[in-house]
Amino acid sequence: MSLDKGKIIEMYKTMKRIREFEVKAQNLFAEGSIPGFVHLYIGEEAVATGVCANLNEDDYITSTHRGHGHIIAKGGDLRYMMAELYGKSTGYCKGKGGSMHIADATKGILGANGIVGAGHNIATGAGLSAKYKGTQQVCICFFGDASTNQGTFHESLNLASIWKLPIIFVCENNLYGISMSQSRHQAIKDISDRAVAYNMPGIAVDGNDVFAVYEAAEEAIKRARNGQGPTLIECKTYRHRGHFEGDAGAYKPTEEQKEWLEKDPIPRIEKFMIENKIVIEKELEDLRNEVKGQIEEAIEFANNSPYPELETAVNDIYSDIVEEVRVR
Amino acid sequence: MIGIIANPASGKDIRRLVSYATVVDNNEKVNIVKRIVLAAQGCGVSSIFIMPDTYQIGYKVIEDLTLEKRLSAKVDILDMEMKGSHHDTTYAAKLMKEMNIKCVLVLGGDGTSRAVAKTIQEIPIIAISTGTNNVYPIMMEGTIAGMAAAAVCFGYGEKNIKRDKRIEIYKDKELLDIALVDAVISKNLFVGAKAIWNVENILKVITIKSHPASIGFSALVGCKQIVSEDEDYGLYVDLNNKYSQLIAPLGAGIIERIHMSEPKILRLNEEYVYLADTNGVIALDGEREIEFKQGEKLTFKITRKGPVRVKVSEVLENAQKSGFFIR
Repeated sequence: MSLDKGKIIEMYKTMKRIREFEVKAQNLFAEGSIPGFVHLYIGEEAVATGVCANLNEDDYITSTHRGHGHIIAKGGDLRYMMAELYGKSTGYCKGKGGSMHIADATKGILGANGIVGAGHNIATGAGLSAKYKGTQQVCICFFGDASTNQGTFHESLNLASIWKLPIIFVCENNLYGISMSQSRHQAIKDISDRAVAYNMPGIAVDGNDVFAVYEAAEEAIKRARNGQGPTLIECKTYRHRGHFEGDAGAYKPTEEQKEWLEKDPIPRIEKFMIENKIVIEKELEDLRNEVKGQIEEAIEFANNSPYPELETAVNDIYSDIVEEVRVR
Repeated sequence: MIGIIANPASGKDIRRLVSYATVVDNNEKVNIVKRIVLAAQGCGVSSIFIMPDTYQIGYKVIEDLTLEKRLSAKVDILDMEMKGSHHDTTYAAKLMKEMNIKCVLVLGGDGTSRAVAKTIQEIPIIAISTGTNNVYPIMMEGTIAGMAAAAVCFGYGEKNIKRDKRIEIYKDKELLDIALVDAVISKNLFVGAKAIWNVENILKVITIKSHPASIGFSALVGCKQIVSEDEDYGLYVDLNNKYSQLIAPLGAGIIERIHMSEPKILRLNEEYVYLADTNGVIALDGEREIEFKQGEKLTFKITRKGPVRVKVSEVLENAQKSGFFIR
């Protein structure tokens, strides 16, 4: 285990950065500053952080519709992310993709994805490329519990196992597929059980404990880099908000919400850092302020950025019809 | 009347990554419970209570056996609030104790038996392994376990049950927790993924059951000296490079070279005091549980207050000699 004081502080800052970014996105969406949809990662910060803290810059990740946390944890630029949410031309997709399409190939971020289960195949391709080229890179495939009912999940695990690809399939089991509880859409409780069918290790960890996630990912990544193939890690976690902003989450029992709020990963790591003298209270406050400053800077950047020009609406797309439209 | 506690979370931890540990999925646990129920009712048990759990093992058993028209005993799920944690196991055991259940079958790992042992001290238990590297529960066919539970229920087990030892861990005279196999003091700072496997972090091992034919840190001590459940003492060792080296099965498929001191005897009710010179974690029966801070004083004591364990084979032998199977 390779966690020193500096690394623990970095992990805390990442978690806090995700939380602050998401809380701001929640508020900005509510006041109408952000168009489109946002699916917030509040409550699940320990998963992306614990996994990505083990990665190199050239390792890959694939993400989901709930992707902000993954992208921040992999080193995505907060300014370009926020600008994208605002629909500004300085955003990651020049303001034309929005929350669910943020990608940064220079950092191995192969994209958030609006299609449930689509990341599995992309991760499998990335893993194949790393193995084919012998690069020692790994690919993390983040996905939710309900997406494991998609064919893509099974096809990808099958291929990844046959070819011993360096992929870590990280299931964020937050108990709900949109509004449907896991017990109503799956006849199993532990998604990690599905690994057995594909002859790969499958384990379940407390997804609200960043150290538990870190340890599991560290071992799985070690296996992947050693050529031992893929692993399925199921992180038991909970989203504090609805499926998207605007969904009040009325289907989530009050007691359940209360119970999970008590397991909030951020106060847990803060308590740990204080009790183990990683930081003193004043230093913790400084870290919080540092992160808040970064988020404010991102908002200012987004606010000050221009919207895309009308004529760019047909740029950067695949269809041949573009020229025809452009002429009109 | 018998009780069944089946842990849906056992057999899925990080040891599948750091070793070659067994995988037991929850459907297999449902199957084992079915075999227990069928065997127990076949031997005359008419009432069975099952702990509710997040996978609904008990409900699945009732539903399937009812559909198949195989259920004649009355099988009920305990009426209790679920937390989805080890607290469910401890609370279910408490309810079973209050209900005066005659024998409790526990499916899970060492940790599950430990959670039961926190509240059940008088009721005989049969611990069935569905976990990892288990030392306390043993791999056992559910049918045999169900038959043995029935025999205990009908009074054939009195001579074939044994009260086990336990390790009690105290801080400031307050009992923090117990272990049924071993307590390991480590330099790990946090509980994290719970299992403990990195030898370089281990400072001390205290065990009450050590044998080379098991797995984990108790087996490490067992590779030097054997202590059985029947002996009224335990052993403790230090791990440090200055000691001689031995090999031991620390995990499934994992033989490690470890430097370990000569085992020292810790007698029943004798106290072993550890003054922490660093922050760390105590692992109980293979899982990190108790965080401690530098300067804290922790006391370990071995007592004969563990659970009452059914010696399955002996109970069935006794039952056979007494004509239990002649109907």
